[in-house]
This record gives sequence, structure tokens and C-alpha cells, in this order.
Amino acid sequence: MAVSVAPRAWLQGGSLSSWLRAAGRYLPIAIVVLVWQLVVELDLVDRAFLPSFGETVRALWEMTRNGEIVVNLLVSLYRALGGLVIGSIIGVAIGLAMATSRRADQFFGPLVATTYSLPKTSLVPLFILWFGIGNVTNMLSVVLACLLPVIVSTYHGVKAVPPVIIWSARAMGTPHRLVLWRILLPSASLSIFTGIRIALGFCFVLTISAEMIASRTGIGKLIFFYGESGAYAYMFGGLLAIVIVAYAADRALLAAMHHFLRWHDSIHAAHAGG
Amino acid sequence: MAERAHAARGALAALWAALRYCYPLLLVLLLWELVARAELIRPLFLPTVTTVLEQFWVLLFEGEIVAPLLVSLYRAFAGLALAVVFGVLAGLWMARSKWAHWALDPLVSLGFPAPKIAFVPIFILWFGIDHLSKILLVAFTCVFPMIVATYHGAAAVSRTVIWSAEAMGTSERKLLSRIIFPAAQPYIFSGVRVTVPVALIIAFTAEMIAGGGGVGAALMFAQRFFQTPTVFVYILVMLATGLVLDLVMLRLRHWLIPWDDEAD
Amino acid sequence: MISICVKNLNKRYRARDGDVPALADVDIEVREGEFVTIVGPSGCGKSTLLYILGGFLGADGGTIEVNGKAVTGPGVDRGIVFQEYALFPWLTVVQNIRYGLEMSGTPGRQCEETVERLVRTIGLQGFEHRFPRELSGGMKQRVAIARTLAYDPKILLLDEPFGALDALTREGMQDELLRLWQATRKTVVMVTHDVNEAVYLSGRVLVMSQRPGRIVQEFPVTIDRTGEREVTVLNDDFNHLRNEVWLAVRRQAGANAGASRAARDA
Repeated sequence: MAVSVAPRAWLQGGSLSSWLRAAGRYLPIAIVVLVWQLVVELDLVDRAFLPSFGETVRALWEMTRNGEIVVNLLVSLYRALGGLVIGSIIGVAIGLAMATSRRADQFFGPLVATTYSLPKTSLVPLFILWFGIGNVTNMLSVVLACLLPVIVSTYHGVKAVPPVIIWSARAMGTPHRLVLWRILLPSASLSIFTGIRIALGFCFVLTISAEMIASRTGIGKLIFFYGESGAYAYMFGGLLAIVIVAYAADRALLAAMHHFLRWHDSIHAAHAGG
Repeated sequence: MAERAHAARGALAALWAALRYCYPLLLVLLLWELVARAELIRPLFLPTVTTVLEQFWVLLFEGEIVAPLLVSLYRAFAGLALAVVFGVLAGLWMARSKWAHWALDPLVSLGFPAPKIAFVPIFILWFGIDHLSKILLVAFTCVFPMIVATYHGAAAVSRTVIWSAEAMGTSERKLLSRIIFPAAQPYIFSGVRVTVPVALIIAFTAEMIAGGGGVGAALMFAQRFFQTPTVFVYILVMLATGLVLDLVMLRLRHWLIPWDDEAD
Repeated sequence: MISICVKNLNKRYRARDGDVPALADVDIEVREGEFVTIVGPSGCGKSTLLYILGGFLGADGGTIEVNGKAVTGPGVDRGIVFQEYALFPWLTVVQNIRYGLEMSGTPGRQCEETVERLVRTIGLQGFEHRFPRELSGGMKQRVAIARTLAYDPKILLLDEPFGALDALTREGMQDELLRLWQATRKTVVMVTHDVNEAVYLSGRVLVMSQRPGRIVQEFPVTIDRTGEREVTVLNDDFNHLRNEVWLAVRRQAGANAGASRAARDA
């Protein structure tokens, strides 16, 4: 989220102070970790319920060394990001169609409005019935979950393109199909990216949900498995891994947004959007 | 006499417009029914619409719809209430205190993109499989968007408004309660509206993963025993619940915040 | 040679409770190379007229012919500059200026030369790779004009092009526009609410009535523009004509206000 940078009043200029400032931003997390470790060390909490931070890191390290974490993370990432990409492409196409064609709007509009309220995780058991446990069920759920936010944000972004922009393009001889590709999409790109960012959050939730409901592989399955077998340090380790990965993915998308949308005059305001 | 005929024509026209709007949905239902009847897909995988509707009535009279639904709704809303209270307080505090912002911002930044559903096993471990674990998971998940929404609402109050109030001798507490909180209400309400479906989804999903009653557990139970019509019934129940709640939120907004007109 | 011929133009806007007439029986003829300005009270429909000329809006009655052919939509023969600049914010200055040339399939080498020349003409050397958000209002408007001139349309339609600029920038831009027109002699139809601007720039000023708009008065402008701005503006002939036009517009603006006041007092 990084709604704004911490108090700038202190520490201005110089690379040492910018390092300190960056460290200062993450200090609260370090404090939480410290408290976590202390609480367990001092036996304030039963170790059976809460492994210490140290134990969690050791378990995570072991899982990394024997490849367990990497393999499962890759499987989950493949499902999540694969579904995100497919869902985004289809979502942009449908949103664009709905915003430019009344017939498309009349057809997809009611469908979108109705399925918006359906929790896509509820489809996982149905998909398990149809396709069994595995990538198809998982990715299909992810695609459906990502579709809606991307459709809606694309639709609103394209609808909000100022008519004078479209008119200028047409006056300069832009044929109709090029207007979609070279004018509407770039103009709506902030909105579209925002929708994709929301979908990014969804894709991880869906992948992990589907894996926890029923799966043989994946980080969700790993966490669930260790939870069931009582190996809580490993469970926490897997959790730590996915939290870091999801955070990194969100940051990466934000960085991409800042690069591709550096021309937008409210990109900095948009960055503050959670 | 002519008035009544006119009113009847108006109602008929409205009905026709509503049908025309829903035509894609009716088309889908029709397609579904035809494909299922012709058994182009095995009934085990795709029961007919009529079978599903029949099953709905059966389950309704057996008490298998309302009771689990109430359980899920209770968990979702209890969790949401907790999230709203903590989220609004934290968001307001972050907006007004630089130290609160410094302390909480990294935690919110880390928590917001994290798939909080992954915490189900932890919450089951700590709080059991009945209501408490689900309620707290819902609260844990929903607190983040509530903090962000409240923070934005409070931060959006123009500083000239705050300066004017301070110049007129408003204390910090009064400032919060009489100026900032009201100004942030549309944002807060927006946040709640967006978070209600999240609360529902988390409640349903946690039940699907861990069991312990509610619609999600019932759905998984039906799936395990290949009771496909029942699976469809519960999916439709979840869909209907979401739709009704969204409509309710829209009405509530009109009633609670009539001065703010935000386009949908 | 008649470049633009408008006869009996009518336009209505659909509103919830009946139609609102915007333009009624507008007749205009613009000769090739003429600089014509349309002035009138706010909301009289002068921008609507321009949008219909540009082919962005359709008419409900009457005919519009440009160079002998009926107007059916936007076209590269009629360049347009909007008050809001309408630059493509995701493209840099040179990418914006080059856009029309790309659309017409101009070869790369020629594009480069034309764009370079125009950047120099509008005085934005050094800003070639900036995005519109990094430019001031005046700079943006210059880019918008350069963009439209790049592909050399025969006709220029200007919709209150300097309305969003501060007074000083506006005066500078007016002089630039005048110089450009004197160099290229394009047919220009401009819409503005600034009477000073109208008389300063054009060869003919048309006054439009209150809604539904129709052309009610015409003022040929024959002032001497060979001198500097100060000379032209402080000239008696200029001021006399400007005052006449201003009174004409004011009368149109007051026509409805006077009628409604009379109705209220009755």
C-alpha cells in the first residue's frame, strides 16, 4: 500500500540516511518479529500452538534446501499467474466489447452483474466433480475469479475516455479497429491495471483455496498438510513463503504500472490506492 | 378507469423491460436445460434445471438451507463487524498520527496482498473448527481493506477544512468525531460494501476447507457423495445471498448517506 | 472557391422530456483561404456547429458540403483543435505530432523532417520526448496545433483553442496562430467567446443568436495587420469594429434575459 512515506522531516539527503530511512520503514515489522520470538522464548505462549520465528525460518530453510518449497511454489504460481494472464486477456476483450458495442453490453452486462456476487470458490467442488483434482480445476477457478474485476475496470476505463480524444484520432484518419487498439486501450490503461491488481489478489486466494480444498500439490496443499500432521513450524514456514511471494508479486505489478503509466498525470495518486 | 389501464400498461412495459434485460440469463438457463435433458452431458455432471429446483425445495423443507445459511451469515457478519470497528479506528488513527501511520503502514502493506485464506489451518489450530475460528478469519481478512478505505477517507479531508476547525478551537477528539469521521463516511461505506462479499467468501471457503457447519461445509459434503443437484443448489444459494446483500447495501447507502451521490 | 457550404442546418438534442433545439436554419459560406470566426453567447450552439462541420455529430436537417462533397464523418481534410488540447497523454510530444502522419502512411524519413520542422516552429526544442503532463497549458496547445498542422489538412477547425489559457499566454498564441495562417493560408473556422480575439484574427466575424442558434449578423474585418500587436490593437478602426461586435453579441445574450425579466415583472 505505502500510502505515503514515513515522516520526512528527519534525515534528509545522503545515501546513508536514505538507507536508514528505508530501514526505518520496515522497523515495525522487525519489532513484530522480535515480539513474536520473545513471546515464544519466554514461554508466554504454548510452543505447541506457536513455533518461534527462529523455528519457522529454520523449517523454511530446510524446505528450500530439499526443494519442497520451490516445487510447490512454482506449481501454485503457475496456476495463479497462468489463470491471471488468461483471465486478464479475456477480461479486457470482454470489457472493451461491452464499452464499445451496445449489443455486447446488453449480452454480457446482466451476466457480469449476476456472477459478481458468486464466490468463485464455491465452484471448486463442482469443478472437482467435472475435472477431478488438478491444474484444470484450479486454473479454471482462477480464470473465472480474475475475469470480473478486469471486465469491470476495463469497461469503466474505456467509457471514461474523453470524446475529444477519440474525435481527434478519427479526425486524423484513424480507422475504427485501430481506435480500439491505439486509442481506447492506452487511454484506459490505468483503470485496466488497477483491475488487474485486484485480480492479482484474487488469483492467489483462489489457487490456495482450491489447493486446500483438494489437491495433491501446491503451497496451499503444503500448508494444509503440515497443519494436519502437526508439523507447525513447517506450516508456518510455508505460510511465510506465500506471504512473501504474494507481496513481491504485488510490488512487481506496481513497479510495472509505474513504468508503463509514467505518462499518466495521476499515477502517484493511484499508487496510494492500497 | 383509464388511469388503471394506464398503470397496468406501465407495469407490463416494466416487466417486458426487465425480461429483455435478463435475456442472456434466460438464454443460459434454457441452454442448460436443453443440454441436460438431451443428456449431451451425463446427469451426474449436469442435472437439469428442474432437478436442481426440485432438490432446492426438498432441502428447504428438510431444513438444510436456512440453518446452514444462517450459520454462515452469522460468522461472516460477526467477523465483518469486528473488522469494521478495528479497521475504522486504525484507519482514523493512522490518518491523524504520524507514529501510528509509521507503525501500521508496513503491516498493512504486507497484509493487504497476502492470501489470508492460507491462514485457515492456523486459525483452526488456535480456535477450533466451530464459529470462532471462522469469525476471526473473516475479521483478519476484512480489516485490511477497511483500514485502507477509512484511511483514504480521513486523509481526503482537505487540510484547509481541518485548519479552519482548529482555528475555531476544535479539540482533537471533536475534530475526529465531528469533522473527519463524517467526511470519511462515504469512503467507509464504500469499503464496507466492497468487503461484504469478501466476508461471505471467506466464511464459505473456510467452511469448505475445514468443515464445521455452514453452507460451505454442506457443499463439500454433497460433493464428496456425488450429490450433484445438491451441489448446484448450494452454489445458487451462495449466488442469491450475494446478490441480495449487494442490493441491501445499495438501499442502505441511500438511507444512511443521502447527501453523497457516488455513481455506481 | 467555396470551401465550406452550410445550408439550413438543424440540430436537436434529445432530452428526457422532449427535444431541445440547438441549431436552427444555419447558413454559412466559407471561401478557400478565409479565416472566419463564430461568436455568440454561451450555449448558443457554436461549438455544436463546429462539431457537425468536423463530422463528429450528425445534423437533423439541412446540408453541409466541404469542397463540394457532403460531410458524413470525420476526415483528414478537416483538422480540429479542441479547447482541452486532447493530446494523447501516453505519447510524447513528437509521437503526438507524428500521429496524423503515421495514419496517412507517410514514410519515416519524411515524418521525421516534418516533425522536426514543426517542433522548431512551435519553439519546443528540448521537449521532444516529454509527456503532455509535463507541459504547461500553452505548450500543450502548441503541440495540439502542430499535431493538426503536421498532416496538412486543407481546413482548420478551432474550438475555443485558447480558452483554457491565461491572458498573456493567450495573446502570444493568437500572434503565433496569425503568423501560421498568414504563412499557410488555410481555410480556418474558429469558435470563440472572446470578441477581441475574433476581430484580431479573422477576416469575417459571424454572430450567432441564443439557442436555437442561427447566424444573425456578419462583420467583415478589414483592419491593417501589418504592424505589431500594439499598433493593431490600439488602432481606432479596430476598436470601433470590436465594440460593434461586442454590442451585437451582448444584444444576443441579453435578448432572452430581457424577455425573461419582462415576463417576471409582468
